[in-house]
Amino acid sequence: MTQILFALLTIVIGVGGCLAYFYLANMVLDRVLPPRRGRPENLRRSSRIRPWIFLAPAIVLLGVYLVYPLFASVWLSLSRDGEFTGLANYIWMVQDPKFRESLFNNVLWLIFVPTLSTLVGLVAAQLTDSIKWGTIAKSLIFMPMAISFVGAAVIWKFIYEFRAGDQTQIGLLNAVVTSLGGEPQAWLTLPIVNTFFLMIIMVWMQAGFAMVLLSAALRGIPDETIEAAILDGASPWKVFWRIQVPQIYGTIAVVWTTITIMVLKIFDIVFAITNGQWGTQVLANLMYDWSFRAGDFNRGATIAIVIMVAVLPIMIWNIRNAQKEED
Amino acid sequence: MENIAGKNVSLRWLLNIAVLVLVLLWTIPTIGLLVSSFRDREQLQTSGWWTALTASEQRWAARTGLPDTAEENGGTWVLSGNVFGDDAAGGEIIAFGTSPVDPSAFAAGDTAPMAVGELTVQADGSYELTAPQPFSEPQVVQGDTATDAPPERGLRIFLTSTQPPDFTTGNYGTVLSADGMGRAFLNTLTVAIPATVIPILIAAYAAYALSWMAFPGRSLLIAAVVGLLVVPLQLSLIPLLQLHNAVGLGRGYIGVWLAHTGFGLPLAIYLLRNYMVGLPREVIESARVDGATDFEIFRKIILPLCLPALAAFGIFQFLWTWNDLLVAKVFLGTSNSEMVMTGRIVELLGSRGNNWELLTAAAFISMIVPLIVFFSLQRYFVRGLLAGSVKGG
Amino acid sequence: MATAAGAQELLYQPGEDPRFNWQSYEDFAATHDLQGQSVTISGPWTAEDEVTFRRTFEYFEAATGARVDYAGSDSFEQQIVIDVNSGSPPDIAVFPQPGLARQLAGQGRLTPLADDTADWLRENYAAGDSWVKLVTFAGPDGQEAVYGFPYKIDVKSLVFYSPENFKALGYEIPRTMEALKALTERMADDGVTPWCIALGSGSATGWPATDWVEDLMLRTQPPEVYDQWVAHEIPFDDPRVVEAVNEFGWFAKTDRFVDGGAGGVGWIDHRDSPQGLFSIPPRCMMMHQASFIGSFFPTGTEFGADVDFFYMPPFETKDLGDPVLGAGTTFTIAHDTPVAEAFLEFLRTPIAHEIWMSQTGFLTPLTTANLDAYGDPTLRGMGEILVNATTFRFDASDLMPGAIGAGAFWTAMVDFVAGQSAEDATGTIEATWEALGR
Repeated sequence: MTQILFALLTIVIGVGGCLAYFYLANMVLDRVLPPRRGRPENLRRSSRIRPWIFLAPAIVLLGVYLVYPLFASVWLSLSRDGEFTGLANYIWMVQDPKFRESLFNNVLWLIFVPTLSTLVGLVAAQLTDSIKWGTIAKSLIFMPMAISFVGAAVIWKFIYEFRAGDQTQIGLLNAVVTSLGGEPQAWLTLPIVNTFFLMIIMVWMQAGFAMVLLSAALRGIPDETIEAAILDGASPWKVFWRIQVPQIYGTIAVVWTTITIMVLKIFDIVFAITNGQWGTQVLANLMYDWSFRAGDFNRGATIAIVIMVAVLPIMIWNIRNAQKEED
Repeated sequence: MENIAGKNVSLRWLLNIAVLVLVLLWTIPTIGLLVSSFRDREQLQTSGWWTALTASEQRWAARTGLPDTAEENGGTWVLSGNVFGDDAAGGEIIAFGTSPVDPSAFAAGDTAPMAVGELTVQADGSYELTAPQPFSEPQVVQGDTATDAPPERGLRIFLTSTQPPDFTTGNYGTVLSADGMGRAFLNTLTVAIPATVIPILIAAYAAYALSWMAFPGRSLLIAAVVGLLVVPLQLSLIPLLQLHNAVGLGRGYIGVWLAHTGFGLPLAIYLLRNYMVGLPREVIESARVDGATDFEIFRKIILPLCLPALAAFGIFQFLWTWNDLLVAKVFLGTSNSEMVMTGRIVELLGSRGNNWELLTAAAFISMIVPLIVFFSLQRYFVRGLLAGSVKGG
Repeated sequence: MATAAGAQELLYQPGEDPRFNWQSYEDFAATHDLQGQSVTISGPWTAEDEVTFRRTFEYFEAATGARVDYAGSDSFEQQIVIDVNSGSPPDIAVFPQPGLARQLAGQGRLTPLADDTADWLRENYAAGDSWVKLVTFAGPDGQEAVYGFPYKIDVKSLVFYSPENFKALGYEIPRTMEALKALTERMADDGVTPWCIALGSGSATGWPATDWVEDLMLRTQPPEVYDQWVAHEIPFDDPRVVEAVNEFGWFAKTDRFVDGGAGGVGWIDHRDSPQGLFSIPPRCMMMHQASFIGSFFPTGTEFGADVDFFYMPPFETKDLGDPVLGAGTTFTIAHDTPVAEAFLEFLRTPIAHEIWMSQTGFLTPLTTANLDAYGDPTLRGMGEILVNATTFRFDASDLMPGAIGAGAFWTAMVDFVAGQSAEDATGTIEATWEALGR
């Protein structure tokens, strides 16, 4: 009982504190520079200050929790035991076969997962929006999002599990294969193929995310536009690809970007299911290995920097988009 | 929104079938888990979950009674009993054997020769072992360090039997009654709720500033937010924990909330800003002309319009914090009173990763809350649907 | 709840069972009063091991009045690195592998133990010198000191089997490696699978192979070469190491010798693998594993009857004595407090060993502990192997740097079993090790 009260109290304090800040900060600003008519200079001044009131907590948190570790990592990647070593860690890295393997796998992930997830999400959003039981269907497709990676690892064990020889297969995939007369395989130990099997899990988990966002965007399109097109005699197919999809390019880009970034950081699935064995290693897991298993934070940081650099093109593309909107 | 298919009946059928296929593909893995969580360990290990509703064949071994319990009957020594013991619902024997490598050599009702005599097993499990001399105790091969006295035990009979389908809620019982599960549940809630609400609040304000306020360095900030999306969490753990200890936060809820907020902010700002930019400019301009401050515009106009996006992100952040293990382990500590549910489940599996039956139940229990949250927030998606505007692509 | 009243819940009442050295308990209790204080311990034990450890340290609580907070974690190594680097270490850290402890001692994260620890170990532990060597690390200033206290040891040179299955099929216990190989061939010819070899272990997949290779290394080379291999004085891809790896390959890479075929070896989880000995029909007849594997046998398995073990035999032709491979956990002080020091003193008392001996999964080289305290004859048999070894060597992968012993070595063995040659696999490890210092 006390535990419940304590939990409630901490929740109230945490959330309340956050709300209080915004209210108080704005109140103070309005007191000091009352936004009354006839005092335009007040309005000007306060609108110069207000954005920073809005942004302050975000900037502080981002700075402490992401920017500071980023710089700490850059320094770690350029040093060893506190001594500056220049690019030595990077030179080691490009010579390391495991790193090359991880890079190759990450590229595979990058090519397939965002594209597939977005595509499935888009199709699912459109299809479920146009049938009666769409909400239920949506929820079912979204459900994998709610599963922790420990759970996902268990779920897919029952799909990929391999039993040798003439034992009864308890994995669905091998059961299907053997019933079609094939040989059962330890799928996750087959190079290249296994990476694709891991990707399937990611797509399975992310498609719901894409679907929910894209569905919200699709519904945001005014009905008149679509109805006009239908009256013009356009087929549903045409309406979808020619009218609806272009309308939500922005959201598609966001979804694709978000999933791409998740894929760059892909760690949990690989860690829980193969831990990078059998040639499935990826950068984030390699980084975790070096940092926490080998206790070598310098090399861990070096690999992390690579992950960050890999995202630069996506960043630049997003900045360009943002600037286009500015104009 | 059923305007697409219009009046076309066959297209409507096609749509329904397509969605059905998609839904099936997406749910089969989870259904497998659900079914598996109601099966006992033995069933999980020996048959696929899709056979759960059919009678299964099982191979197992029983022991005869102890050799010295044999009764003499006119020069024949007889050991008899039932392989199912007192278990009435044992099933039906279809085959038996006397060697471990050929466990189903004889059909039920047949008589099998053994080194010591003859063995018959009936379909109902009753067995009879007869020999012309008293049974000597089975000799156990002695290892270097094995015990000197072989234990008193009967002879092994190998059996194949059909078992009727059998479901159990025992796995859930074991998981739920595990020490500290209730506490862990509360701890998880204590972590997850503020770690969901706080980033949404902070991100919504920041996203508004980045979409509708003019100030120097805006596009640079937007770029920074996108860039920070990729900072791998694992690398930030140690510098941040050092920082927490240095400023006296130590390990506790505040530290976890801040960490989750920090890690969740880039995505939150990115998604919310993208949504807000799409809102109609006229609404905001006209409010400004009426002399409303940005704070009022944000509260009265933007927030209600953004509900779907807020709900969407809220769900993702909640799921992330609910299912997270790493951040909680690092920033909250690992003692029993602080353990979150994922941690408790991993503990429960302990060093015995072969308890699949517990894993299945535990995975489901941890899914329940996120699913409830998702379903209860769904209506917000439907609300404010006309918030978007026609923006030329 | 560590009060006199707490003594009600102890496993055995002090004084009630003659197997135990209660005198050592009373002496310790008389000289330590830590009422109201507490000590935090982080260790690798969860599930059953955690329960048995708790039952053991309850005697410390009862004797001193101090409270012990134990937190066990499956990913202890990662957890402890995070904890000590961030300045929130536990008082006592229990390392499953001394390699990581050495690393942290070198970074100044651990406190050297009492000065007399080395002498005490030499006097009271069988093969005491090798234990002292194991826990002597260089501190941040290069000064060598004893940082660890070995407690809870596992013997790894064991082959488990089902005596009843051996009898039913007429197999004899092999006394030499040549006989073991002949038996392997014969079983395969009979149509039964000789071995369960499984490398799966979640994020530690691959480690069971290292035990095989180390055991075969000790059976093909003199212990000095083994030491050079551990210390990286010979390269990892030295022909002598390659030979040992290929010996392992003879067992693991021959499809008909292993459950699941060579392809299954890397995939099957070592925690599921023991089931193969007990399944019907048996999926394998033998399993090379450490003494702790008993906790993964099906519930109700009777040692000595359902399952037994024999010593992994040496080659008759090599004349290398009877080498024993082992491993063990090391207690270290990561945050120095009087209670932590008292706890390490407690570990020197025979009673601290005997209580755990009487339960499961615990072996000790402590010569003053009463062998009768062992909970079952099997455990006792292993304990005797430990106290009587002619050559005793530590698990090499535990002594190598973490990046090798808990990284490259594991991964390379998985690749080796999946089809890579021994030269390539060891070459990869050597390349990683070479690159470590740079």
